[in-house]
This record gives sequence, structure tokens and C-alpha cells, in this order.
Amino acid sequence: MHAMRDLLGEMPVCRGVKSIRKNYPVPTVTIDGCKVRVRKDATILEAANRAGIWIPTLCYHPSVSTDASCRLCMVELDRGEWRQLVTACNYPVRRDIVVYVSSERAKKARRGVMELLLARAPESKELKVLAKRMGVKETRYPNVTESQRNCILCGLCVQVCEEIIGKAAIGFAGRGVDKAVAAPFRQPSEDCIGCGACAAICPVGTIKVRFHEDEKEIEISPFKSRVKMLVCQECGALIASTLVNEQALTKANLNSEEFRERLRLCPKCRRLQTVANLGSVTFGKK
Amino acid sequence: MISVSTRFTSGADIDKFAKKLNSKGRKAAKTVRVCIGTGCAAKGSRRLYELFCEAAEQSDQDVRIEAKCVGCHGFCERGPIVVVEPGEILYQRVEEPDVAEIFRETVVGGRIVERLLYEDPVTGKKAKKADEIDFYKVQERIVLGNNGLIDPTTITDYIAEGGYTAFAKVLSSMTPEEVISQVEVAGLRGRGGGGFPTARKWRSCREAKGSPKYVICNGDEGDPGAFMDRSIMEGNPHSVIEGMLIGAYAIGSEQGYIYVRNEYPLAVEHLKMAISQAREFGLLGKNILGSSFSFDIRINRGGGAFVCGESTALMASLEGRTGEPRAKYIHTVESGLREKPTNLNNVETWANVPAIINRGGEWFAGIGTEKSKGTKVFSLVGKIVNTGLVEVPMGITLRQIIEEIGGGIRDGRSFKAVQTGGPSGGCIPAEHLDARVDFDELTKLGSMMGSGGMIVMDEDTCMVKVAKYFTEFLQKESCGKCTPCREGLAQMLYILDRITDGEGQVGDVERLEELAELLEGTALCALGKTAANPIISTIRYFRDEYDAHIKEKRCPAKECRGLFRYEIDSEACKACGICMKNCPVDAITGDKKVPHVINQEKCTLCGTCWEKCPFAAVLKV
Repeated sequence: MHAMRDLLGEMPVCRGVKSIRKNYPVPTVTIDGCKVRVRKDATILEAANRAGIWIPTLCYHPSVSTDASCRLCMVELDRGEWRQLVTACNYPVRRDIVVYVSSERAKKARRGVMELLLARAPESKELKVLAKRMGVKETRYPNVTESQRNCILCGLCVQVCEEIIGKAAIGFAGRGVDKAVAAPFRQPSEDCIGCGACAAICPVGTIKVRFHEDEKEIEISPFKSRVKMLVCQECGALIASTLVNEQALTKANLNSEEFRERLRLCPKCRRLQTVANLGSVTFGKK
Repeated sequence: MISVSTRFTSGADIDKFAKKLNSKGRKAAKTVRVCIGTGCAAKGSRRLYELFCEAAEQSDQDVRIEAKCVGCHGFCERGPIVVVEPGEILYQRVEEPDVAEIFRETVVGGRIVERLLYEDPVTGKKAKKADEIDFYKVQERIVLGNNGLIDPTTITDYIAEGGYTAFAKVLSSMTPEEVISQVEVAGLRGRGGGGFPTARKWRSCREAKGSPKYVICNGDEGDPGAFMDRSIMEGNPHSVIEGMLIGAYAIGSEQGYIYVRNEYPLAVEHLKMAISQAREFGLLGKNILGSSFSFDIRINRGGGAFVCGESTALMASLEGRTGEPRAKYIHTVESGLREKPTNLNNVETWANVPAIINRGGEWFAGIGTEKSKGTKVFSLVGKIVNTGLVEVPMGITLRQIIEEIGGGIRDGRSFKAVQTGGPSGGCIPAEHLDARVDFDELTKLGSMMGSGGMIVMDEDTCMVKVAKYFTEFLQKESCGKCTPCREGLAQMLYILDRITDGEGQVGDVERLEELAELLEGTALCALGKTAANPIISTIRYFRDEYDAHIKEKRCPAKECRGLFRYEIDSEACKACGICMKNCPVDAITGDKKVPHVINQEKCTLCGTCWEKCPFAAVLKV
């Protein structure tokens, strides 16, 4: 999928262009009557974005691979004699197709899924905002599954940790209704570098980053993983996770001594120091 | 068993070897075949086999006597089953003390031990051979034909019965396209549940870009009550291997996998033996039978997840990842195992292939209905007289299977419904018993062929509870990846729990229907899409039972605890006092010669009195 997306960068999705290059077929997607042309193997979601039609998504993120696990982006695909519900985020467009995003059946399916998600994660503000935008005011279902509080198991955190950060500190544990995102053996993970990418990508605000001023530690909740923070040697403020710093040093290939020297201070103190160093410099016309 | 070190280098070698095996000098004059299929083995048939072996060794007969363990005969209800050759005399429910008698009378003396023969429960007629028993009469055994004849642990038995000749024929005289056309003419459809045309799948895989290509045998049979694939793998593993060889040749694959449940240890053992013997004989490996075709098979054992029977979950599991399905918008024949073209078929599908090649696609197409060809193996279980494994031509009616083969319902009760297609199938009521069994007909009735489980239910079965049982099973087996299946099933189970507890609310049936529709439309894989079938089919045919539970707080089948009462029939009660003594809460009062009475306020509905009463005077009302 990554390769495909890279291709998309080079090969813009086009509207009204007859042909771009012979090697790239450009099938037409008709979404709710609006025609757009996309490269072969683009997804319905990409086509919809191009057409300016909104399809709600939760487990989809352009930076990571697509799993289609939340089933929120259901749309109706015209198969000639019958219509099939498909997920827009991973259905590849291979020929001219007709898709209905706002048909009654598609709307009903998406709302049904949203109701189930609301029943699972009733406390999530983010989910409620999305539900409202979809026209779902409340759920008719009780909260019957709670292996992990307010988590909809979309898997983005697991994917970002593995695919982008390269750590795989968290993964899925258990099966079915007992499934949960956890570090191995549900213990604080030694692999976690405290980067907080999982918290940033979480679409329902369930994963949180907490700072423990006393211990000078960062904690990724609910995984209980804690990592020591770099502390500003001037004012004592927490700067960044020490392990993220290490990771950045290996990746960035900077002169590490110089980098470490800079990281002695928090951004604010560093600015003050810079200003102080500038003290002898005079500005203005000679 | 004949020990041979043979390595075939051409197809003709197989024929020559089979002839040699069947020549008079090699063949034992007398054979005792003991079924060691799972059902019979559970009843101690392994020990019987050992005893027969000992008896054969010690006998001073001048002809060669051979005791042989064979695969499942299908008539599990009457196991352990022992067949004596010559004469094909079938003894049923054989126990250890019977061994000496059978050996003395039948094997040595050629006489029949009447009391061990099968007796027809209606006519009282004794049957000497399998063909004379109603259970076998209606059946047509293609896949199971050699089960009960050959020893699954030795390849020579399979070859002696004409095994691997289909593969030799394919390799020497057919192009891959010709093989696929034969399967197409035969009209073979996938036996695992979906019923997808096998030839079309093979052709798509053959034409797909990418290499290597893989073939997979799906032996992850997990439906409650189903053991068709198990019996084939245990009783005739070479037929599966031969089918895979032919398929691999047609598709252009060099590597095959058999994914089998670890809960089937005997199947794993027999498959392992079969594969290593096939390698020894030069039927698996490089340049098979002197041709340019190479193929080998690996066994992978499943970890116990029902969902791994789904093709994409199975492939994920094979790759060593969590067994979770993925979207099939790009088919597995294009991008399956390790993102290579992969052809997956069920055990029974593969086992049908050698027969199709040997006897021709047209012969196969002559059996069955217009769109469903050949035979289907069903495991017939539940409240039926003859439980077991049956193979019937497609198009046979459910009534024939249940009444003629199955011998009707147990204990004189009446038939209520039959559940086909495993947990994702549906319940078919008595009014549709004359429906013909084929892929499309069963789907029309709201059930499905599935892999061939057939659970028969009598009038004492509560259909709401049946729906709850299967929903609970699927909820536990759901992988939890997609929202509708994980959350929807939990919600449906919550409602069903409420109904069977007598707390159902008006509108619950509609709620179930709405959730069912949602699941069917939005779930990721076939498990989720079909998970609501048991609920939908029971609502369709037994709506009155749901209503009785919800509106009248009554369970018509008297199975849901709390939705019926126990009462003592004062006329039938002999005032013996047994119920009184056994009642854990002292809810029963009475005296000598005075009929007993249950105090309904004290009664906790535990059912002890009902179980203990020797006069059936305790009634469920």
C-alpha cells in the first residue's frame, strides 16, 4: 500500500483528463453521481476525497497500512444486478465503478456501526463529535463489551508503533470480545520509547500521555510504560523522552556531542541562553 | 503390511506395483478389518485390533490371516465396527470378549456370529453385509468409498485400490488445461461451505501473475458436531494428497500446505505418515514420476481458532501471524499466502478430484442436481437414531437422510428442525423436510450447505436456546478484528440471554433482525456475515417460540430454566419419597400413600426431582 501511495504522489488523481500515460489506466468512479477519474488501484476513499465527498473513517490513516477493521466507511457498490456494501478505505478501483455514499442502505450501515462503537466507548468525546457529524445522536445499545475502556480496537496505535516508529511495543492481546491493545503480558513494555505516537494517532482519545514531574518520567497510558525524561539543567523542566532522543540521534546522524549539549536545556532556556550570548552583538547600521 | 522399498519413476510403475499387490500370492486370504476412526477408537477399537493381531499371529491356519486397522465406516452409532473378509461380514458393537468368538467362528470356521450382526430396529431382520443395512443403502460413497477398506497408515493399500493412477494419468497424458476442463465438466464446487466452482478457482490461480504459486488444503474443520474432513484425513489421507498433486499440476504449483487442526492428532499422524511414504515412493518431491513436475507438501497445525477455517485467516496463520481475516477485494488466487497466488480447497474437495479424473467429469456430473454435482458427506448428529458419517448424492431430500439413513428421531420423539451448515447455517423445520439438499436450495431456505454438519433436533429442543448456543459459539470464536462481528454478536447474545432468562422485551426480535442485517452487510469476513443465520432462520420458522418467551414468559420446549414449572402428577405419583429426599431446598411435601406436591415458592427449578422420579410423575408444565 505504501508503494501505491507513493505513486499517488507522483500521479495526481485527475478529473476530466482523458489520458495521462498509456501505462496508467484511469478508471472513472461515479460517486453519488459525481464522476472522478483515479489511477488504477486507488481506493474509493481516495476517489471520494477527490470528489469532495466526505466518508467518515476511524481506523484509516494515510501513514499506515489499511486494515478496514472499524467498518465505518461502508459505501454501496453497484454490481449491476445487485448492490454490495464495501469499505471505501481499502476497496481498490480497477475498472469504472458506480458507488453510492449517501444511499439509505450505506447510511444505515455506517450509522449502525457507529452505534455499536458508541456502545463500546461511551465516554469518548471524539467519537461523539464524529457521530454527531454522521447524524447519530445516541446509541440504542447498552455497553456490553469492555475489555479495554473506551478503546474501539481500530489498531492504529499498534500499526504506528510497528510501521512508523519501528518498535512494536504494543500489540493485540486476546481474541474477540476479550481483545485488547496491550504490551506483552500486559506489563509495562521495555520496548516503549515514550514517543507518544500512539496517543497522537488514537482517533478516540483513549491513549494519553502523562508526565510525572516528581519521577521525571513520561507515561503512556493505559499501557503503564514509563520512560525517563531529559531534564533542563537550567530550570528543571521536562524536555523529551531520553529514549526518543537516542532514537533521534541514531536516525538523524547529527554530531551527537553537539546535539546532547543543546539538549541540556529546554527550548525556553535555550532561547534565553542564545539571547544572552548575543548580548555583545549590536544591531543596526554601521 | 508389506514392506517395500519402491521408488516409482513412471506412471506405469504404479500399475505394475498395484498388479503385484493384488496378485494372489501377496494378498491375505482372510482379513479382519477393525475401524479405528475416532468414534470407534473412543469405544476401544484399538485394543480390538491388537487382540485380532495376536489371534492372527497365534493361529495355526495354513492361509494367511491379516488384521488391519481401517478408517471410519461412518456408522459410528454402532461402533466399534469389525468387518471380516471373505464375505464382508459386518459386526457391530464389538467388545473385547467377542474377539475370540469372531476369530474362532467366522475367521477360522466361516460361520456367522448372529448376535453381533446389525438388526433392523423395525423389521428385526439381521443384516450380514453393509449393503443390506438401510444406513448404507441410500448412500453413494465416492469420497468415503475406501474408508473402511484400506489401512490409512500404509500407502500400498491405497495403491492396491487404484490409488495414484489418476495422478499418473494426469501427468502422462493430460495438459493442465485438460485437467481443469475435466473438473469443470464435473461441475465440482467447493465442499468447505461457499460452494465456489473449483475449476474456476483453479483457472484464476493458474492465470494469475506471480510465482511461486501455492495450493492449500483446509483441514481446519471446526463446526460443532462435524467430523467429515477428520474422517477423510484419518481414514484415507492419500486421496487428499493425490487430489492436491493433481490440482498443483493443473495450477502450476510446487508447494502445498495442509492446515489441520491440532485437535485432530490422529489426522496429523496419518497425514504425516502418508506424506513421508509418498515421498519415499517418489510421488512427492522433485521430478515426480520422471517428469518435470515437482511438488511437496507441508503440514501446519492450527492453534485452535475456529476463524482460521476462513481462507485469509488461515493464510495469515500459515504465515505465522495472528489468524485474522483480511478483506478479499483482491482474491487469494491473485494474492494469498505471502502475497502469492494461492489456491485453497477443502479436504473433501481435494478428495473428490482423483475420482473425477479416473472416471471422468461426465460421470461425476451425472450425479446430483443441475447446479450441485456429485456427492456430499454429512455428519449426522443430534437426536437421531443412527448418528454417523453419511455420503449422499446431491439432490437427495432431507427426509431421506434423516428418516431412511438416520433412522428417524430417538426415543419416539418427533422431529422439529435440522441445523445444517455449522454455526453459520440455519435451522430447517419439518415443513421443508422434502427440500432437496444442494447448495442453492439450502441457501434459499435460509441455511446453507456449509461443510456438512447436520444436527437433528427433536420437539424438546428450544429454538431460542439453539440460536443462543450458536451465537455464543461464534461470539467466543470471533477474532474481534471488525466492529460489527465483535460488538454486534455481543449485543445479540445480550438480547438472547435476556429472552431465555424470561426478561425479553417487546421489540427484541426486531432488534435482533436489525443487528443481523447490519452484520450481514458490514462484517469483514464470512464468519461475521453469516453469523446471524441461526438467529434469522429460527425467527423465520419459529417466531412463535420467541413470542412465547418474550410475551408469555414461557418456553414451549421447556428447556429454558425459569420459563416453566415442575409439577407432580398426582395420579402417576406412587408416593415413594425419592423426590422429597433429593430435593435440595425441601420444596416437596407429602407422606406415605399421599401424592407429593411441589411448593412452587420454594422450588429453585433445579430439576433434580424430574431426573430422580422413577415413575416419570414429575412433569414440566
